[in-house]
Amino acid sequence: MNNDFISIGIAEPSDIIYDGLSNILHKSGINVRLFKIDSIDGFDEKMNTDVVIINPVLILNKTKEFKKIRKVFHNIHWVGLVYSLFSNDTLSLFDDIISINDPCEAIYKVIGKFGDEHPDEKVSKQQEQLSERETDVLVQLVSGLSNKEIADKLNISTHTVISHRKNISLKTGIKSQSGLTIYALTKNIISLDKLA
Amino acid sequence: MDQVQKTFIKLHSKMFDLIIENHSLLLLLEHFEIDFTVNNKTVEEICKENNINPEIFIAIGNIYNGYNPSKITNINNDDIHCILKMLKNTHQYYKQDKYPEIQEYVRELYENNNSAEIVLVEKFFNEYFTEVIEHLDYEDDIAFPYFSQLLEIDMQNKNIDFSAYTYKEHHTDIESKLADLKNLLLKHLNLKNDLSLRRKLIFSLFELEFDLNVHSLIEEKLLIPMIQKIEKRKHE
Repeated sequence: MNNDFISIGIAEPSDIIYDGLSNILHKSGINVRLFKIDSIDGFDEKMNTDVVIINPVLILNKTKEFKKIRKVFHNIHWVGLVYSLFSNDTLSLFDDIISINDPCEAIYKVIGKFGDEHPDEKVSKQQEQLSERETDVLVQLVSGLSNKEIADKLNISTHTVISHRKNISLKTGIKSQSGLTIYALTKNIISLDKLA
Repeated sequence: MDQVQKTFIKLHSKMFDLIIENHSLLLLLEHFEIDFTVNNKTVEEICKENNINPEIFIAIGNIYNGYNPSKITNINNDDIHCILKMLKNTHQYYKQDKYPEIQEYVRELYENNNSAEIVLVEKFFNEYFTEVIEHLDYEDDIAFPYFSQLLEIDMQNKNIDFSAYTYKEHHTDIESKLADLKNLLLKHLNLKNDLSLRRKLIFSLFELEFDLNVHSLIEEKLLIPMIQKIEKRKHE
């Protein structure tokens, strides 16, 4: 399972229902990535799927295949999206059921099991702050040293320097060296006279 | 607000309706040197009047409307010339219009906030601007003439160092520095005043970014595949 978002496949033949459900899921505050599944024939796992929401119509007369797919992709949570009558036998094939009349909250409850309610907040808080080591690397970086020179100076491997640099760019959103210099200055990590 | 998908442009779409829906299409018209007073004309009529293959106009227009570039099936040399001319016009728009505008905003910002940070932002932008101009000049002076030549004569020996890969590299770099600027302005810089000036600056950055994106898509997804097709044909 991916920590950043919940990957959800939707197997629903009606465009109206598909778009409506997509809208509800996107508005949920849960970080979701959606993709459409046309049929369960040749189902293949995409983007580390966490959940598949599927209209039981698509597995009618195909229960054998469906059971097989479930076995292969046992990490996926299978949710039936029900808006007509199905036998209990069919419905028992799913891990959860969403009914067309369910309020949004009921849908969020089913999907919310797979991720934090407000992942954005959490991620951004821990992501913003540079670690001590990253700050060290940043200082050397903006003073114009190469990866190799930084590694020697801080007594770490070049590989570690590169990984720190990646994290710095990820946290600050800035990739170029000149951009990072400005960043370091605004955060008082370096002073202007040091640059000269 | 959810993002609403824009109309997929078709031959019989009314140009006026399309502009009302997505006013960025004015850039499309400008780059193709088409007048903004579109009356009640359809895309087809406008293309005919301006001697543009509607297939190309529609493909590029739909990139502006947020769709992935579709394959163009029937192209001839005139079409490639037409795309090259359009791209050259977009270069003019960057060089003469958008970048100087942003440069002016950054300069004003610097005048109002005489801080070390802004000095560096101005320096950052000016260096970046120089880089962009270099890339645009490379396209105007080397890549595009090469493409044109490719169309005119049988080239036996091509000594031009051109690769679609370098092209992409340049684009990525240009776009990522622009992202750096936006990140600095919205996340990190300690500025207090000048909201209206900063808004203008950030708006301009977004506008530029949008057109640059479209520009790279046209080159990478439409132009380069066409060129490669011709190169292949010539080598056979």
